Amino acid sequence: MKKIINQPGNFVDEVMEGIVAAYGDRVKLLDGDRRVILSNTPTRDGKVGIVTGGGSGHLPVFLGYVGQGLLDGCAVGNVFASPSAEKMAKTIKACDRGNGVLCLYGNYGGDNMNFDMACEMVDLEDDIKTMTVRVKDDVASAPPEAAERRRGVAGMVYAFKVAGAAADEGRPLEAVAAVAQKALGNIRTMGIALSPCIVPDVGKPTFAIADHEVEIGMGIHGEPGIEVRAMASADELAEIILGKLLGDMPLTAGDTVSVMVNGLGATPKEELLIVYRYLHKQLSEKGVKLVMPHIGEFATSMEMAGLSVTLFKLDSELEALLRAPASTPFYTNENI
Amino acid sequence: MLNAQTLRMAMGEIASVMAENRQYLIELDQRNGDGDLGISMSDGFAAASAFVNTSEESDLGKLLVGASKVFNEAAPSSLGTIMSFCMMGMARTLKGHESADTALVGEAMVAGVAKIMERANSKPGEKTVLDALDPAARALCDHAGEGASAAWQAAAKAAAEGSDSTANMQAVHGRAAYYGDKTIGMIDGGSVAGKLIFEALNQAIQKMD
Repeated sequence: MKKIINQPGNFVDEVMEGIVAAYGDRVKLLDGDRRVILSNTPTRDGKVGIVTGGGSGHLPVFLGYVGQGLLDGCAVGNVFASPSAEKMAKTIKACDRGNGVLCLYGNYGGDNMNFDMACEMVDLEDDIKTMTVRVKDDVASAPPEAAERRRGVAGMVYAFKVAGAAADEGRPLEAVAAVAQKALGNIRTMGIALSPCIVPDVGKPTFAIADHEVEIGMGIHGEPGIEVRAMASADELAEIILGKLLGDMPLTAGDTVSVMVNGLGATPKEELLIVYRYLHKQLSEKGVKLVMPHIGEFATSMEMAGLSVTLFKLDSELEALLRAPASTPFYTNENI
Repeated sequence: MLNAQTLRMAMGEIASVMAENRQYLIELDQRNGDGDLGISMSDGFAAASAFVNTSEESDLGKLLVGASKVFNEAAPSSLGTIMSFCMMGMARTLKGHESADTALVGEAMVAGVAKIMERANSKPGEKTVLDALDPAARALCDHAGEGASAAWQAAAKAAAEGSDSTANMQAVHGRAAYYGDKTIGMIDGGSVAGKLIFEALNQAIQKMD
């Protein structure tokens, strides 16, 4: 293993120290707790809080979206491990301004259980109203008839953006949850992996992919995909991904989409652009309008090589929410 | 009558029964789970018992919320979390009460069972802890008018029969679900934990009488 780290057990703590050192003017730890991060941006009184949480190892997901126009707080877990219910409850409490908190996070067993527990805690002890929306955008993780079981991956960034903008407008909790859910109904993601990732505490790759092979549909923790096949050209891989996504969510002439091409950690932006160019050509030829391209690293898996593609089908409401200003240490739509 | 003092006794009794059965529960779970059942039940109830013993709180709901939180931290397994949800559900009914008669405790237990069903998205008949807890909670309500001693005896009996009945069921939740119909004929470990809880509570009640 070659990694630029100190003691593996200090990995997350030292990342958090780096975050505070670099961006301490924009985000802060809750009472010095390196597992709870909050936005420093003043918000309107009574704004609905939006909280997420999950394991480390995916930056900018999750904590990178805490900031202006996006999330109010994030509970931080160890690498690929859910934060505890207690940390989530502390985050929710810190983000409530009297009008409730939306818990918006990826659909994973540990996170689901712990967020449910945290919601019970804050309801019983602090009378804080919460609602939950789980991101289930990964089409490769379950067939359409079992879409409830799908995992949450890069598409959650669009959901964060939409919910954050809706809360900033002053919409009530039910409405913020509803528009996040509506956005997720229009979001589909699929990824491919070329090489594995290494969890610092484990010290060796989570799985193996042969040099000449690519795994189609792999999850962001190395969960098995739907097919291992011979490595192919960028256009061929993009076609496989697009076919699968459109099979799940058809697009027709006149539709508007934002397309995200997301690097998983070790893939150059040049390669992401080569894939975007193909997707742009194919979709444009179908009469689909592409707006607000998101190209870069939005949800990673340590040093995994590969990418994911997310399609976000927009109506006028969702497009306006996506365009609303937002700025965090890791995300801004100013240049998009 | 359940109050802070009797809750301490009851939680202590459950903790000691779980400690005695730690190895037995581990072995039951190893047949089709990951074997941590005995560990999470004995550690979880030991932590919950320690919490209620040291807490100055007299509100039953607040005591149970606190117990639930320390239980969850000590036993973050699936069944540990399910037990924490059960205590949260009970706490909601008992919030604002410093004492509760058998009927109210029964009502709280039914609410605890309902909370498990809601949060774990499961129901009785699926070879889980619910197959012991659900009939026991309902028996407690049905027999509350006959006095605490009779009601808790009936509840313990219902829990034991419910646990035994899981031998005829096929697992649909957790790791056991991967074993499918191979689980038929085996008693569910989680339901045994549920049976032991009511056994311990019944013992505590009979001692108090």
